[in-house]
Amino acid sequence: MIKLSQIKKSYGRQQVLHGIDLTVGKGDVVAILGPSGSGKTTLLRCINYLERPSDGEITIDGFTVHCKRPTKADIHRLRKQSAMVFQQYNLFRHKTALENVMEGLVVVHKQPKEQARLRSAELLEKVGLGDKLDAYPSQLSGGQQQRVGIARALALGPKVILFDEPTSSLDPELVGEVLSVIRRIAKEGITMIIVTHEMSFAQDVASHVVFMDHGTIVEQGEPNEIFRAPKEERTKQFLKRFAPESAYSI
Amino acid sequence: MGQHQFEIAYVFEYFYRLLPSLKVTLLIVGSSIGLGTIVGLLVALPQLYRIPVLRRLSQLYVSFFRGTPILIQLFLFYYGVPEVLKLVYVDLTRTPALFFVILTYSLHSGAYIAEVIRGAVSAVDRGQVEAAYAVGMNGFQAFSRIVLPQALSISIPVFGNIVIGNLKDTSLAFTLGILDITGKAQTMGTLSQRFIEIYISLAALYFIISFALQKLFDRLEKRLLRHEPAAAKDSLVKISFLRKDVAASKWRRKEAQL
Repeated sequence: MIKLSQIKKSYGRQQVLHGIDLTVGKGDVVAILGPSGSGKTTLLRCINYLERPSDGEITIDGFTVHCKRPTKADIHRLRKQSAMVFQQYNLFRHKTALENVMEGLVVVHKQPKEQARLRSAELLEKVGLGDKLDAYPSQLSGGQQQRVGIARALALGPKVILFDEPTSSLDPELVGEVLSVIRRIAKEGITMIIVTHEMSFAQDVASHVVFMDHGTIVEQGEPNEIFRAPKEERTKQFLKRFAPESAYSI
Repeated sequence: MGQHQFEIAYVFEYFYRLLPSLKVTLLIVGSSIGLGTIVGLLVALPQLYRIPVLRRLSQLYVSFFRGTPILIQLFLFYYGVPEVLKLVYVDLTRTPALFFVILTYSLHSGAYIAEVIRGAVSAVDRGQVEAAYAVGMNGFQAFSRIVLPQALSISIPVFGNIVIGNLKDTSLAFTLGILDITGKAQTMGTLSQRFIEIYISLAALYFIISFALQKLFDRLEKRLLRHEPAAAKDSLVKISFLRKDVAASKWRRKEAQL
């Protein structure tokens, strides 16, 4: 369904992705873990071309973009296949929660306004914000804003939703509400790729875990394999920091 | 000035007699701001999109119009442009002075408006554009639906200052014989020798229009910034001060740790 092959990215002389290969099946929930600076966010942003890979191929649902010389139309079509939830929410500041969710449906998918409004209200209801339709982002808490962001992504009916550290800029007590929404939509069989630092969440929700370091994939596999019995030394070292947590849960 | 005793009644009389000339002043302001906005957008775009050669040219344009007095620009365009065009056999000697006045003020305010647009567009958070791309918008949709509306509301206060500045600058158009309110006041002064009364009413007239424009832009700003929290609406200045305080205290803390 999604296939990345030999994705490379460098900023000037510094190479941040050294030829990443990754395959994601339909309905998979992939968690990408790794220390900061390992290139995980860059990889995620390459999938919808917010970063331009220097080389490689991206295939989503049978449509392939060759990253050496992509056309504008290629990039545009690739972006329509996915949706993204940002670390800083990035809601449109001058639009209400409802308008934020509607925007893509009306402008990109050319849906009639009434239909888009109904669908958007339904989705906001689903993420628990049925009473905040007319609130502007500045009037919402971080957790609420992020849930609007998730509704906005869902509205587009994408082939895959990309989550870029969706809880990293939230107050600790607001993390739970966002994670529970993500967990709920993961169960509905939507394909997701999540870059996260929430280890227990990744272990719980992901069907596949990828560990990255220094721009390469060090190890990947089932969550149980990676968390209980990592093969690579680097993975062990990284997960050790979270060991006390797992000791309690056992 | 003048041999007459000051009489307040004349202030009111002249104020009334200046009113018909107001339409000339407002015509200059209106058309030069209108054309200036188009010029400003055209000048700002090469800088925003970093188009190689055009970008330099537009920078040159802006620094010329910001770096020379409007009075000199008026003279240059009024006397200079017909001379240059004479070389290519275009006769502008019969073109009314008002044409050159509007041209000069349009190009002049265009330079300032370009700077405002540039500043406001780059003040919009990069994440907004990314989010627009991520929902599948193309470059034009992202600019017109997401960036421009936000840039507009950011730029309104400064834009208001430019319009008011432009209004006051038009008082120099009388040097080319334009009968705007200042030109009219000059003529009436020469005839009646009651300069003090006339200038008082002239100043009052400028003040009233400036004040009305100020109120208008305040209102517009409130409307366009309705999506920002109430505190921010009252004074954006206050917020920038607060941020400085926060930055300063962080810095002091770091220093203390050392």
